[in-house]
Amino acid sequence: MTDATAVAAAASSKDPHVGLAAVAALRALQESLEELQVGNARSQGWSWAQIAGVLQVSKQAVHKKYRRLGY
Amino acid sequence: MFERFTQAARRAVVLAQEDARERRQAQIRTENLLLGLYDAPATPESTAAALLRRAGVERADLAVEITRLPRGEGTLDAEKLALLGIDLDAVRRQAEETFGPGALDRTRAGKQRRMFGHIPFDDASKKALELSLREALRLKHKEIGSEHVLLGLLHAEGGARDLLAARGVTLDGMRTAVEELGRGEASG
Repeated sequence: MTDATAVAAAASSKDPHVGLAAVAALRALQESLEELQVGNARSQGWSWAQIAGVLQVSKQAVHKKYRRLGY
Repeated sequence: MFERFTQAARRAVVLAQEDARERRQAQIRTENLLLGLYDAPATPESTAAALLRRAGVERADLAVEITRLPRGEGTLDAEKLALLGIDLDAVRRQAEETFGPGALDRTRAGKQRRMFGHIPFDDASKKALELSLREALRLKHKEIGSEHVLLGLLHAEGGARDLLAARGVTLDGMRTAVEELGRGEASG
């Protein structure tokens, strides 16, 4: 990680291209982690309403997003 | 597409990905596949490694030159996240401890972005792998061994072909060498 941190330190945070690309990577990481957690909750018998409540989104949104993935 | 690859050829592809990651490339390039061919174990070395050694091409020499090549386009997601103070390796480790090996890669976002450890092939290396199948078919070989991947690398445009050409290794010459291996040596 020290290499990557050094790269980060060297990069200009004022460059929109760099900053926006970083946020896009973060969004993908967040999506990935959310999917893992939702899948885990479903496998433990959680309802969509319970999951939505803790995620602080609507039940419809979480159901629509993950139902197709077979959770 | 790897169903017909021999163990050694598959191993070479895996090693190419590892080499690309170590070099912090965003894509796997033909040069990485070339080094993978050397490192793929067979009995005691892969067929491609033996052919290259006979042609007088040394792995160490290639590796040095590859290090000097430009890294190419694209920044790894790990580097982008580091900019935000997020250690992707740490996040990955945590996710795998809880949800098992490759947890992030299995998610939809992980697959779409191919960000969490999996590195995609660039166009040249994809082409080389396709051509390795064609080379095997041409020789009427049923399996794709490391020697066919080597022919694919010589057939496709890319860094590997240039490196080998600079050392006097040509597609025609290597095709002949592979044919001469004949029936005596198993593909690997």
